[in-house]
Amino acid sequence: MSRLDDELSNELKKALRREEPPVGFEGRLMARLSSESKRETGLARWFKLALPRFPMMSRLAFASVLCLMFVAGVHYERERQERVEGEAAKAKLMQALRVTGTELQAMREKVMASSGDRAAGE
Amino acid sequence: MVFSIALHYLHDRESAEEVAQDVFVQLYRQRDRLSGPGHVTAWLRRVACHRSIDYARSHRLDPKIGLEELAEPASEERPGDPMLREKLRKLILSLSEKARMVMILRYQEDLDPEEIARELEMPVSTVKSHLQRSLATLREKFGRALGGSLG
Repeated sequence: MSRLDDELSNELKKALRREEPPVGFEGRLMARLSSESKRETGLARWFKLALPRFPMMSRLAFASVLCLMFVAGVHYERERQERVEGEAAKAKLMQALRVTGTELQAMREKVMASSGDRAAGE
Repeated sequence: MVFSIALHYLHDRESAEEVAQDVFVQLYRQRDRLSGPGHVTAWLRRVACHRSIDYARSHRLDPKIGLEELAEPASEERPGDPMLREKLRKLILSLSEKARMVMILRYQEDLDPEEIARELEMPVSTVKSHLQRSLATLREKFGRALGGSLG
């Protein structure tokens, strides 16, 4: 690097040196932060109280529990629907059996009646 | 650091304070997610850069000064001259937004190109190219004044 580059680099460091914030910056910031903290109520505060330590881990655990509850809910609903459908199918089958049983009985009675007539004729 | 990045980028104390306050409020909101002073410093620097760029875009604070409008430094201006530094600042302000931020991170924060690339989420080669082009422009514009005293 040439002396010119060194000098330019030094001048740039001086031109871009860190500047202090204006007087009163800290006070104005604290005022904003205190109004900000007042807004932290309700659910946000509850979350902070409920998950005070290891926030990231706790949130992940909380999210996992929610996911698990959702999956379990979907599974339960599917099972309930299958049970309802199964019961409806069973009821239909029973009705069909009852109808068939009645018809069989009528048929048997007819057969008995006709065989009784034949025996009487002989 | 935060106020200074915004000030050098925006060249306006009031806007720089607004950006710096916003950055600290954001830090307060996200305090649970940050751990350790090193992490906080890096976070503050990154957010200050991006907030300054966003602020300039949304408030249309792009500098009106073109390179050709900047006067050549007078021959009596020498290294260490406050007028020369102010002209350097104005010249930096006339650079493109990314090039300007690269120069601020290089010379205010003393970061190397790899660190700047991480902060600004751009390839290292782009950072180096910005630095080279900006320095070439500055050298051309101020070389005479800076070189004059060096003989």
